[in-house]
Amino acid sequence: MHIPDGILPLPVTGAGYAVTAVTTWYSVRRINQQEDPRRDVPKASLLTAAFFVASWIHVPVPPTSIHLVLNGLLGALLGYYAFPAILIGLFFQAVMFGHGGLTTLGINAMIMGLPAIVAHYIFRLRKARGGETQKKTGVFGFLAGVVAMGISVALFVVILLTNLPAEIDVVSEKAAIYALAIAHIPLIFIEGAITALVTTFLRRVRPGVLDGV
Amino acid sequence: MKLLLDEYSGLDSPFHRWDPRYKIAGLIALVFAFSFIRDLRMVLAMAGATIIIYAISRLPASFLAHRLRYPSIFLVVIMLTLPFLSGSDVVATWGPLAVREEGLLAAILIAARFTCILTIGVVLLGTTPLLTNIKALRALGLPQIMADMALLTFRYLQEIGRHLRGLQTAMRLRGFRNRRLSFKGLRTLAWLSGSLLVYSYERSETIYQAMILRGYGNAPPRREFRGRPHDTYVLIVLIAVTAGFIIGDMMLGHHTAALLK
Repeated sequence: MHIPDGILPLPVTGAGYAVTAVTTWYSVRRINQQEDPRRDVPKASLLTAAFFVASWIHVPVPPTSIHLVLNGLLGALLGYYAFPAILIGLFFQAVMFGHGGLTTLGINAMIMGLPAIVAHYIFRLRKARGGETQKKTGVFGFLAGVVAMGISVALFVVILLTNLPAEIDVVSEKAAIYALAIAHIPLIFIEGAITALVTTFLRRVRPGVLDGV
Repeated sequence: MKLLLDEYSGLDSPFHRWDPRYKIAGLIALVFAFSFIRDLRMVLAMAGATIIIYAISRLPASFLAHRLRYPSIFLVVIMLTLPFLSGSDVVATWGPLAVREEGLLAAILIAARFTCILTIGVVLLGTTPLLTNIKALRALGLPQIMADMALLTFRYLQEIGRHLRGLQTAMRLRGFRNRRLSFKGLRTLAWLSGSLLVYSYERSETIYQAMILRGYGNAPPRREFRGRPHDTYVLIVLIAVTAGFIIGDMMLGHHTAALLK
């Protein structure tokens, strides 16, 4: 789900960088408002590295397999560190493995990062009305995973297909958008299930991780 | 896991000697200009400029070929689909398949831009150690928290990667086979991810204490780079080339079909 270099025109990649710059600025500003902003940096960094590594885990979906994205879980656990974490993770993926690209780093961060922030707010709702329970952690974890991945897929498909530098007719374009979106539905639910299972696991094993950084 | 992007950063070339701050600014501007190009004559100029820049960098051709191996899968997909699906003017038929002009031009354009941008990216990141590049980004205005996070994330990627491989080996030894999609399998993979997160979280606590003991956050960052006049001249030349690509493409019409019409 990374858009590579060369496809998108300059105004779109430029707009992606602009949105990413503003969101990063806002996230860093919120982090700096904390009492000791540097205290959580190691925690956020190591969790970023762990998410990066966890994305190598493959889930079998016969006849193929998919890798985890986990941007909903990342948003749920990292809060305002989520967007900088995703930007850093995508930068390393682009420079190490050629996934994504340098000119599309902004737009890819936007596709993955904005839904992570939405997931952060959804997951916070588990504490509303009567406090946190194992069931509510699972339900809001699932919702955070599904919504984040759903928004990411929608952004990815629409941005990619509406910006191909070719004259694809409207009917073919719509058909391609629907086909790509439908192909991603299992991935969206697998992400939701994994997010729910990981959050309930963390609540049992190490609840402090769920309180965020 | 192979993280050897900067394995040739110790070579000697004008790009290796160039101040990383100027190099980032100049080459990033150039790749953005490449993403602006639509005229096929400018695509040829872009390919020429890319070859010259890569030759000057003295990086081995095999290094570039290795870096292009995985992303070129994307290129193959683009070349195999767009010429047959996009456009109305048929230029050739091949059995039931018709090659369309607009799709073919778009595929050539995307493939060329993709390869050139990736090659310049290899020069940018292959001629300077990655950690120096992160420090250069910091000097260019990247927030301190982002620079610290990037350095720490990079530092612990390999260690956490090793931990994951250890856990996966242990799972296999206990009979786990990741072949079918099932709830039990998903739960096991979720617990594997959760264990990685717990391990990282606990590890970060001792790392933070060690960092505090070494004075983390108490000293202003050192001034790492000192630009020379030569660095500025090279940047000016590169900015002129960048502007040349944008102006040239606009003067030639900024459309893909210009060459064949």
